[in-house]
Amino acid sequence: MEKRGVRKGASFPISPSSILPALPFLLIFGFFFLFPISRLIYVSFMSNENTFTLGNFQTAFEKPYNSGFVNSIKLGLLSAAITAIPGAVAAYFIETRGSSRLKRTISSMNGVLANTGGVPLAFMFTSALGIQGFLTQALKAVGIDLYANSFSLGTFTGLLIVYLYFQLPLMIIVFSPAISSLRREWVEAATNLGANNLQYWLRIGIPLLLPSFLASFLLLFASGFSAYATANALTVGNVPLTPLQIGGLLDGNVSAAQLNLGKALGVVMIVISACAVIPYLLIQRRVARWQTR
Amino acid sequence: MSKENLILQSISKRFGAVHALDNFDLEVKVGELVALLGPSGCGKTTALRVVAGLERQDSGAVKLGGRDITNLPAHLRNMGMVFQAYSLFPNLSVEENVAFGLQMRKVNKRDRQKKAGELLELVGLNTQHKRFPHQLSGGQQQRVALARALAFEPEILLLDEPLSALDAQVRSNLREEIRRLQLSLGTTALFVTHDQEEAMAISDRVGVMSHGKLEQIASPDSLYNNPATEFVAGFVGVMNYIPGYQNGKSVSILGSDFKVKNSSGHQGATSALVRPESITVVAKENSSNAVVVTRSFLGASSRILCKTLDGTLIQALVPSEESSELIPGAKVQVKISANEVLVS
Amino acid sequence: MKLGKLNLPLIITLLLFGAFVVIPMGSAFEYSIRRGLEGGYGLQNYLWAVREEDFSYYLIRSTWLSAVTVLITLVILVPTLTWIHLSNSKLRELIDGLSLLPLVIPVVAFAVGAQISFPEFIQSSVMELPFLYFILALPYAYRALDIGLKAIPLKTLSEAARSAGASWLRAIVIVILPVIRSAVTATIALTFALSIGEFTMTVLLHWDTFPTWVTYVAQDNLLGAIAISMIALLVPFVLISLVALLTPEKEIKESN
Repeated sequence: MEKRGVRKGASFPISPSSILPALPFLLIFGFFFLFPISRLIYVSFMSNENTFTLGNFQTAFEKPYNSGFVNSIKLGLLSAAITAIPGAVAAYFIETRGSSRLKRTISSMNGVLANTGGVPLAFMFTSALGIQGFLTQALKAVGIDLYANSFSLGTFTGLLIVYLYFQLPLMIIVFSPAISSLRREWVEAATNLGANNLQYWLRIGIPLLLPSFLASFLLLFASGFSAYATANALTVGNVPLTPLQIGGLLDGNVSAAQLNLGKALGVVMIVISACAVIPYLLIQRRVARWQTR
Repeated sequence: MSKENLILQSISKRFGAVHALDNFDLEVKVGELVALLGPSGCGKTTALRVVAGLERQDSGAVKLGGRDITNLPAHLRNMGMVFQAYSLFPNLSVEENVAFGLQMRKVNKRDRQKKAGELLELVGLNTQHKRFPHQLSGGQQQRVALARALAFEPEILLLDEPLSALDAQVRSNLREEIRRLQLSLGTTALFVTHDQEEAMAISDRVGVMSHGKLEQIASPDSLYNNPATEFVAGFVGVMNYIPGYQNGKSVSILGSDFKVKNSSGHQGATSALVRPESITVVAKENSSNAVVVTRSFLGASSRILCKTLDGTLIQALVPSEESSELIPGAKVQVKISANEVLVS
Repeated sequence: MKLGKLNLPLIITLLLFGAFVVIPMGSAFEYSIRRGLEGGYGLQNYLWAVREEDFSYYLIRSTWLSAVTVLITLVILVPTLTWIHLSNSKLRELIDGLSLLPLVIPVVAFAVGAQISFPEFIQSSVMELPFLYFILALPYAYRALDIGLKAIPLKTLSEAARSAGASWLRAIVIVILPVIRSAVTATIALTFALSIGEFTMTVLLHWDTFPTWVTYVAQDNLLGAIAISMIALLVPFVLISLVALLTPEKEIKESN
């Protein structure tokens, strides 16, 4: 590693062939990230007696944990599916029609909404959509009685609604770069070559945006699938979701016959999340080819 | 291919407070290559975009022969445009890019592949037809863009600084190639550039623009030798500004009198405009009126920069074999070898 | 900016998006200023929250934890990235890839891993949090700095500083940091925002910070918790919008 680490003539300190400058990063990253993740994977294959077993994974796919996965995947998919197109359209108009100041304001607001949501978001909705909440009352005034059908934010539907609130801003954030990478030259060249608006979109615009759209969808799925804070604040164990089940096992709430079940659930989550995030990263990298040129 | 003259009639276009085009007139004749030359912001690109229909003028008309195309939408104008750079569709192969215009015109697949092949052959890229734009060099990309713009046999070929993003070597090769293609296909072309050398090298006529107006339009030769205005003179080629004293129709510079070409009858201090090749420099210890500052060897000729006694810097172009003594510090006599001069 | 029919879609988008953001937020705000049984409106929930001793305690705690995270991020990433860019090392691809890895791992799973891996002396110190936050913010912080460094002639700058007699440390601090200051600012903002709002990792490792404290408050005083949540959402919202609005518009050259 060290020998091929650096090309000849590199002019950074100490000895040019050393990886010393990257060492603090590698050590901290290794210790605080790679180590716990590897250990998690290792322990997930351990029985209570510290022998190798697949039993944890077996249990992970049985009741009630299997429905946790199903619900979490459904929540991730639905919240992504509902927000992807509106988010993409909003991103399109903001990026193409907005002033740079507007773009900056919206992108930082989205940053707040998408990242620091969590618990405050849950309480915000609790008050807005509670029985006495303003939104509930307003909806009732126009003839929609949320509570007629025993609605509660602590249900799958309730969570889905709240999730939209951070998924939509996330979609706008993730998809905007793709929009801004559409060059004006391409529309103009297409027009000049005789394409009308529709033909431009069908032959050039949509094919160019599609990979980024799919990538954004995958990232949204991963975000909805693994979200913990909001669900934890809104539900009381009535909606089985994998992150909550893992949290419960971690707190020792369940007198589990298998001490390492939570680790196996975590590993399965990593695998599912990786199935979405890795293609996302690969597509982003591919798309960067024409985004930077 | 194209059968009609392109005519722009008193086009005006403003962007906010800026007059990009101010009552702009231009006529490009069939088969002609006309360059619009000017500093950035002079409105040359706007003029081109108005022709393409990508920009809508505030007033004035665009005509093809007798046909008024002012209100024709851009995608129906049948004009092929080559952009500055990166205008190839990144999701389409080279061949698909070139065939795009034909596809929009509902040409069947076989015919458009054949035509794309021909065009790619013309620009020397027929072996690259399956590649994608990002796999090509900048020069190759512009060749493809040129082929794409010509593939559907446009009425007019529009070139918007197509060489400005390229390296010097590639740039001069490609500009010859553009000219060769334009001549052999007989396409009428309008070429926008800020590089005077480029414009002078390949155009039939060059229009020099400033502040949204055409200062002068003429063949490269007459533009160089008979610039109509000081702006044109300064923008095209290298020009010396030598202080002198004007006395009506003559001007006295460096101790000699010359006829004033653009006589204004002005009386008093002025600057005379003299090309470097109209200046002779001879080494002379005794009756010198200047000192050599630098000598740059350019091959057949050398550029000598002299400083006169009153401090004016003058550039001269001297045959190299006559310039061996003109080393920095040498005392020289500077003379003007023209009969008539422009004054500012 | 052109107005008129061109911008109608933008206006509609902004109205819809604005409604989406403002309706629940405004309605929650309305709820939080209600005056219990006697009716009418008042700020008593907010006053209660701000007067609560724990409010400032946890706010200060979260703030310094986030500040430490920012510090760790800068101290580790700036030299590492500078070196990567300068040396053209083959390690670059590896480190680029590693920096994205935290995106792949759900925080819940990461928290479980952290809980079963770190030795006692680390788990018993709240200082483990900044390092974990650093990992969580890494994909964003790394990219922000990477873009900033890509945009400057780093090699020339550092060689100029070095040949003028600066040590590497001085070269980085005096020359490189100021040149990439907008990327550094973005990194600081990103890292700080993520750290101060982090909930999942913190609560699963049984630490108390401002965001987790709110959930405890909610058990006794829901209205108070709602008021705190409104503060937690609105304050950064308003601050960031103000900063974005007040920063002068630079990209005028966009138009041709």
